[in-house]
Amino acid sequence: MSLLTMEGVKKTYGKGQVEVHALRGVDLHIKQGEFTTIFGPSGSGKTTLLNLIGALDTPSEGNILFQGNHIGRMSRNEQALHRREHIGFIFQSYNLIPVLTAYENVEFSLKFSGKKLNHDLKKRVVHILEHVGLGEMMHRRPNELSGGQNQRVAVARALVKEPDLVLADEPTANLDTDTSKEVLEIMVRMNSELNTTFIFSTHDPMVMEYAKRLLEIRDGNISHDEMRE
Amino acid sequence: MYLLRIAARNLFRRKKRTFIIASIMTLAVISFLLLESMMIAMMDMSFGNVIDFETPHIEIGRGEYFAEAEAGEILPLDETFSPDRELHQEIESLEGYTAKTGIIAFSGDFIAGRHEFPVQVRAVDPGTFSDVFRNEAFIVEGSFLEPGDEGVIIGAKLAEFFGLESGDFYTIRFRDADGSFNTIQGEVQGIVSTPHPDVNLRTVLVDKEYALSPLGIHEGEITQLMVRMENRELAVSQAEALRNALGTDELEVRSYRDAAQYIVSLETWGYIETYFILALILLVGAIGIISAVVLSAIERIKEIGMMKALGLKEGQIVRVFLFEAGGIGAIGAFIGCVIGAGLNFLFVTRGLPLGAFVDFSEIGIPLEETLYGAWNLSSFFVIFFVVLGISLAASIIPAYWAARKDPVTAIRHT
Repeated sequence: MSLLTMEGVKKTYGKGQVEVHALRGVDLHIKQGEFTTIFGPSGSGKTTLLNLIGALDTPSEGNILFQGNHIGRMSRNEQALHRREHIGFIFQSYNLIPVLTAYENVEFSLKFSGKKLNHDLKKRVVHILEHVGLGEMMHRRPNELSGGQNQRVAVARALVKEPDLVLADEPTANLDTDTSKEVLEIMVRMNSELNTTFIFSTHDPMVMEYAKRLLEIRDGNISHDEMRE
Repeated sequence: MYLLRIAARNLFRRKKRTFIIASIMTLAVISFLLLESMMIAMMDMSFGNVIDFETPHIEIGRGEYFAEAEAGEILPLDETFSPDRELHQEIESLEGYTAKTGIIAFSGDFIAGRHEFPVQVRAVDPGTFSDVFRNEAFIVEGSFLEPGDEGVIIGAKLAEFFGLESGDFYTIRFRDADGSFNTIQGEVQGIVSTPHPDVNLRTVLVDKEYALSPLGIHEGEITQLMVRMENRELAVSQAEALRNALGTDELEVRSYRDAAQYIVSLETWGYIETYFILALILLVGAIGIISAVVLSAIERIKEIGMMKALGLKEGQIVRVFLFEAGGIGAIGAFIGCVIGAGLNFLFVTRGLPLGAFVDFSEIGIPLEETLYGAWNLSSFFVIFFVVLGISLAASIIPAYWAARKDPVTAIRHT
């Protein structure tokens, strides 16, 4: 069974003469454990697609089923619950909470995933921060960390609750090549160790190199779908 | 816990903003506490002086007498009554009853030398007067009245006005019960300097036994029967109880509050003024809180988006902003309570020399020259929670506005 199924998904912004068709009828199946990259030119609909998959937005038409549940028909609170239980997000600009330390940012995500914070879960926070190479810096705040370190915190935050799906929107856009590589390798490792499903949107050819499945999107449609070994 | 931690750290992250808005709340709390302290002190002193020197806890007299007195006419000597045994028994059976004394109060002109001054003369029974009133304790010259004395007790201000000392001669001119002019004469027997400025200037005490004949009033007749109780709290209820027990329209039973309506009005207006000032300052504070929450939400719009992406419900995001607003209110209120307590301590111990600015005898308010503050611990709790409540209430709408931001727009916000 697919982790995610999209059937004839359309997304239109605006009305009348200023209508923008961001997605024009997307059909897509994503299986558990896939490491997928969506690429395409700016304005092609990559981010809109990720927002719909992540239940941050609702489709204008069509169905989105996550583990068989229609996420487009959920209320705002149900969508929030769905996100906290099943989805991890990684953004281009990290979006860490500036007043919390790296450790707290990761623990915060776990705290609001509905799990009761016990000793084991706290150990998991430390473990994952060590795993992304921030064991020594976990008590620093985002403004005391570099861009790459912040993105690693964001990766740890997305992964700590062991979500079914991680959505990463241009995760390497603000990072240098070496740091990008390090962050991507962490995600590849998580994918293989935890069987976590990853979907990236990117312009970065290096990200595409790591992908097991490549989806090209143009003018709101999937124009190319390629499985790789 | 995490939401509280984020809120607390954000307060310290924006120290200047937190400080400015909390300061407004602090100002509101200090103003309220000091005004409240002043109000309580003024009312305590005013009512205390009324009870000790003017009208004790309960007074009984003819309704017509009180009506004419309040209308500003001369105190009528034809509106006297003779308290019967039943009235005495009813009074003595009141809860908290302490003492009673009958007086004849009338209007007259105090004359010494070429000058005269309008006064209220009280013909009193020296044997029981001091059980109810405290004038005797404030004799500064001469001695208090004894039964049969022909002298008068005058206030220090009146003595100063006429340049009188004890032993000097006086004349009081008045209209007797038949409406004819008459006088009583004698020596100034004692001078009192009480905390009641009006008593020091306008009240003259004379022995009832001596005054009866010139007043044209029969033995046993009085204008008012004055009753002292154990404390002020009992006065209103016991006056009501006595009124019901007597069941007559002929006599009117009044508590000190009925008799001192001008102070009750002053109290009401004083509190209205206090709450008005408080409301104005709190309004400014509330506007500050609203703008702080809105600014905070705009600055942290990406953070809000991220919180929503992490799965926080709108209610949880609202809570973060409510905690922040509540934190500003709590900090302001707490500091206000601490500073307010310190300033009020000075007010209570050192007092405020109001007499330097206002002559209370001129405006008829029974206050001493120096006003000392009063403690009311419940005010501290009330104002703390009022400020906290207003801070939370002011932030609800902007907090919901922030929490309802579209997560997609919020995350992409630059």
